Amino acid sequence: MISSSIFRIILFAWQSFWRNIWLSIVTITIIVLTFISINFLITVNVVSDAAINIVKDKVDISVYFRPDITEPQVDEVQTYLSSLTQIKEINYISQQEALEKFRQAHREDQVIIESLEELETNPIGATLQIRAKNIDDYPEIISILDNSKYNDLILDKNFDDNQAYIGKIKEFSDNIRKVGLFSLGVFAIIALLIVFNTIRVAIYTHREEIGVMKLVGATNWFIRSPFLVEAVFYGVVSCVIAIIIIYPLLNFIQPHINSFFLTEEFNVINYFNQNFWKIFGLEILVIIFLNIITSVVAIRRYLKV
Amino acid sequence: MIIFKNISKIYPPNVVALKNINLHIKPKEFVSIVGRSGTGKTTLVKILTAEESSTKGRIIVGGWDITYIKPREIPVLRRQIGVVFQDFKLLAKKTVFENIAFALQACGTDQQKIKEIIPQVLKIVSLTGKENRYPIQLSGGEQQRVAIARALVHRPKILVADEPTGNLDSINTQEIMDLLLKINEFGTTVVLVSHNKEVINSINKRVITIDNGEIISDQKIGKYLL
Repeated sequence: MISSSIFRIILFAWQSFWRNIWLSIVTITIIVLTFISINFLITVNVVSDAAINIVKDKVDISVYFRPDITEPQVDEVQTYLSSLTQIKEINYISQQEALEKFRQAHREDQVIIESLEELETNPIGATLQIRAKNIDDYPEIISILDNSKYNDLILDKNFDDNQAYIGKIKEFSDNIRKVGLFSLGVFAIIALLIVFNTIRVAIYTHREEIGVMKLVGATNWFIRSPFLVEAVFYGVVSCVIAIIIIYPLLNFIQPHINSFFLTEEFNVINYFNQNFWKIFGLEILVIIFLNIITSVVAIRRYLKV
Repeated sequence: MIIFKNISKIYPPNVVALKNINLHIKPKEFVSIVGRSGTGKTTLVKILTAEESSTKGRIIVGGWDITYIKPREIPVLRRQIGVVFQDFKLLAKKTVFENIAFALQACGTDQQKIKEIIPQVLKIVSLTGKENRYPIQLSGGEQQRVAIARALVHRPKILVADEPTGNLDSINTQEIMDLLLKINEFGTTVVLVSHNKEVINSINKRVITIDNGEIISDQKIGKYLL
């Protein structure tokens, strides 16, 4: 009895879906567009996030040692810094390499090159290039260095130059995230309202049918259930179509992302693959839930016969 | 079978549709309720099928006092009263078979039994062979016969026909009336609501005349008075 009722409900839902195919197509199209728009915004958020991370990753600070500081002393500082949890990577540049870099940087400036030639000793000290795990950690690393016994060995740090730059990136990334979340939220609300209205219109076209069902003795549950199952159909079919459309689009934009960032570090398709169920699973659940709630609300007024 | 006791219906703010209706319809009777448009005939049918509730009075159907019927009991009542409407009220996206089957499926009848019952009712309404057609592919008379078949599948004790010939030509009207008389002969109480003078005068059955919401005449073998 229960299984035959369930079978009938699914059958009625399928018949209604199929026999009102244009209405179904219109409803599904709206939901597919909603899915695509939401995922487009997710992509924009993810790409801007990745862009900020790539830029953040390129930020470092350089610690310049006095020219008289020996390599073992620099090694000691490097070992000390390596023990700090905030440090991601330290790159050691010897005095000789630093000089070479300096020469390269000023190869067009004859005065500087000649001045260097005249000096008998290397006037440039070794350098440590420090990269922190988090952009917020730089001030703390600098403060640790300033208060350490190694402070006297250090000639200069370029943190002050970078501080404004780092602050700007941080502010920019925070703003992008806020704007992204806000626009995603606003769009999600608009999308929900559109889907809500679409389902209401779909149910509205069935209003006479619902009335007739009531008059021949059908219970509210028997009338309502096929519409709820149909609402689930709309959600599932729309999500599948949206996935079929979204992946080729991601494939299309991936090379453009790579050429824009000049790196292949970030792959948006991988991101969607890794978070497939988190993204599409959640979206499909939300859409189905919304469709069902809308259907229940929309049908209720026509059940009063 | 059907008892109306002092039934009144007043729509807000103060429109009186029915005024102190007292009526007793016996089992297996064929009763015509006649009157001009807007005199309260359809309101009477709606109260009988629990589409509307009365403002005053009591109504008893087959010994069941439905005056204060609970919403969950309404489907049970409607399965006991077959109703036929002027505009047929068929489900446009379902075939003839599915339209009739729906009334049985709604109360959980198993598919095997549905397959046995439907050919029998289709035979009664002379629609054998047209079970796979959609309503739009049928004439008005045929659509009304589908509606009658649907009303009959529960083997109801009462069949209410609200202006069943209102949208039909004279030939189809006669066919539908013959069918209603045949159903009555099988033992079903038939309540016919109509303002078709020729139809009422031709059947020589009980006629109740309503005017301005009140019963002005109740004749055992009556004629259309207005």
